[in-house]
Amino acid sequence: MLRPVNMSRVVVAGSKDVISPVVEKLHELRLLHIVNYNGNQPGFEIGKSIGKSKEYSEDLIKLRSITRYLDLKNKAPDKTFPESQILSEMDNLLNNVGADVIATYERITAIEAEVKSKQDTIRSLNPLAVLPLPLESYHGYDSLATFVGTVTSPVDADVARVSPAHEIYTGSAKNATQVAVFVPAEKASEVSAVLSEHGFSETSVPKLEGNVASAIAAQESSIKSLEAEKAPLLKKLADIKKQNEDLMLATDEYLSMQTQKTEAPLRFAVTENAFIIDGYVPSDQFSRLKNELESTTGGKLEVSLIADKEAEELVEKGEDIPSQMDNPSVVKPYELITRLFAIPEYKEFDPSLLIFVFFPIMFGMILGDVGYGIMILLILLGLKKKFRTPGWQQLINVVMIGGVWAVIFGIFYGEIFGPLGLWNYAIGMLTHHEMAALQEAGLFFGEGVFGSLGRLGPLGVFPLYRLATNAVLLLIGVSLFIGVVHCSVGSICGIKTELNYGEKKHAYFERLPVMLFQVFFSIALLGLVMGQSILTYLGIIVVVLSVVMLVMGPEGPMGLAHVPSYISNLISYLRLLAIGLASVGLAYAANQLAFYVIMPMLSGGAHNSAEFSMLAIIVGIVILVAVHFINLLLGILSPFMHPLRLHYVEMFTKFYSAHGGGVEYSPFGHVRRFLKA
Amino acid sequence: MAVVADAGTLYGLLAVGAGLATGLAGIGAGVGEQGIGAAVVGVVAEEPGFLGKGLFLMLLPETLIIFGLAVSLILMFAWTPFAGIVTP
Repeated sequence: MLRPVNMSRVVVAGSKDVISPVVEKLHELRLLHIVNYNGNQPGFEIGKSIGKSKEYSEDLIKLRSITRYLDLKNKAPDKTFPESQILSEMDNLLNNVGADVIATYERITAIEAEVKSKQDTIRSLNPLAVLPLPLESYHGYDSLATFVGTVTSPVDADVARVSPAHEIYTGSAKNATQVAVFVPAEKASEVSAVLSEHGFSETSVPKLEGNVASAIAAQESSIKSLEAEKAPLLKKLADIKKQNEDLMLATDEYLSMQTQKTEAPLRFAVTENAFIIDGYVPSDQFSRLKNELESTTGGKLEVSLIADKEAEELVEKGEDIPSQMDNPSVVKPYELITRLFAIPEYKEFDPSLLIFVFFPIMFGMILGDVGYGIMILLILLGLKKKFRTPGWQQLINVVMIGGVWAVIFGIFYGEIFGPLGLWNYAIGMLTHHEMAALQEAGLFFGEGVFGSLGRLGPLGVFPLYRLATNAVLLLIGVSLFIGVVHCSVGSICGIKTELNYGEKKHAYFERLPVMLFQVFFSIALLGLVMGQSILTYLGIIVVVLSVVMLVMGPEGPMGLAHVPSYISNLISYLRLLAIGLASVGLAYAANQLAFYVIMPMLSGGAHNSAEFSMLAIIVGIVILVAVHFINLLLGILSPFMHPLRLHYVEMFTKFYSAHGGGVEYSPFGHVRRFLKA
Repeated sequence: MAVVADAGTLYGLLAVGAGLATGLAGIGAGVGEQGIGAAVVGVVAEEPGFLGKGLFLMLLPETLIIFGLAVSLILMFAWTPFAGIVTP
């Protein structure tokens, strides 16, 4: 569970005339992770594709362009198809339906382009509306220069100065003055210079006729008719999509599978009469692979295992052993978190199980509220039905398990929608009189430590009240404790990983001292807090010892530079308390505001909930719902991201991916989703 | 040892110190996150799949606030020993 599946290096060698049945069988078995042949061995060439490879790829490209026009996204299958149905319907789908889709789509784009150009025309016509000229009088002159545009100050006098023969039309638009200036062509450059002194900025005049208002109206009406043509086309595309969605995805799957099969030999090494496939197979599946392949080909093929020593040499030459994570189904969702960081290398630990243990506890510890936990579970149950792709399902499962822990911690903390929330109504609160009695008996550690439940729960501590001083102190201790355990587990994995790679010095003088340092540093702290000086001294001695070991380690005195980060690693776990406090604080504020400020205020200073007016209750509930909703959103995001960070930064750095990410085991074959087996 | 202030004032000063510790650390973290946030938005615009990693990167500087908070907690809860030293 903590390690990737054992892999064996195999070689499949056979006669070239059985290459297609072998590919077919391998594809069906989905066992062999093929190592691509790089063409470097003398005497062996890279294989050529078999069968109708070119046709399949062409069809696939055609299909993909159709699905892109339809904006078809991959989704969970609603129905599955037998291959024979795909074969019989593929031609119609690709040619008739496809041509229809492409034509419709192209018409839509053409309409959109035309509408856009008409809108541009309208935009340039608008400023001309203030001038008293019909559109045809702006162009078509040989001996006249025309300037149309806006100016910031009157131009008549200056234009008259440089060109006595002129005609100027002026109209005032919103922010500027629109002018049309007509002068003899030979005066054009002088007039242009004069105009630019007045801040002239040119307006382009569309080559149309008639008056401006009617030209705009004509453009608008043709836009309207174009839009009217577009609407049914869009609907047609949507209909085609709805009708053929599953069939298209199934065809895509079929064609992908066929291309994969026909192009497989490109990854093999071939000679004139034989072919060789290198690859990895999970060790316990080797005999199955061997039997299945050899029985299909009737002895024209040899499947052999490569000895460990030779395999090791191949790895040293740069071959990656694929890793397949192997976890029980409850832990599976947490592989998502591992994968987000890196695939474990073959010799490394697969941390999914550790994440499964720690992550939900951290999530629950931060959120810790029965009400929020149940809300999250309900919301996610809804989402689970809606988002059915494997990635979403995994993510939802991860958060759901966290939600269960949030409920459990909520009971420890005595919170239903925050302290002062429903808990007091549901379970009751300690009276002042009883608190005094506890204080006398020496059992009272500050208000709220015994929580709103008031009675002694397990250990005489729960439910605690997170905002109380003593509860904060207790939770600091718990957070640091979780931190020490978490980091130590990471360090132990780190030591074992280094040993797996045969790096003894790194294991004992780089990984081990970190663990010793962190564990005994916190033991020293514990000694200080509890006043047990023996613990403190023991802690300090081992901390010093571990620092000495670090200096003796591979990094030498430079290793000392990391020491502060080991302490900050531990302090970082205080976020388990801190993020939680922030969310409790907000929930507390919401309840306080609604029950003790808004509701009494709006009902004229009443203190008893029975005296609250209807309005007060409604406004109070609106405020409660709004603030708790915001808090719940934050309450899903922060408790998820912060433990994630604790894993990636604090724990994984101790053991994971020190040697670079691994390669995922992806056996040759295809998972059938839309196709019947 | 000279008595600097009465217990109430001292407690008030401690509270101000605690507030500054968390508050200034928060500003620091905010400044750090500002650059990361802008970069992440840029990357997500190009490649939406990066959102998860981006959100996670955004969180890295938040450790600073935790340190500030740790200092605040120490200040607030170290009140009793301090009072013992300073009060006459």
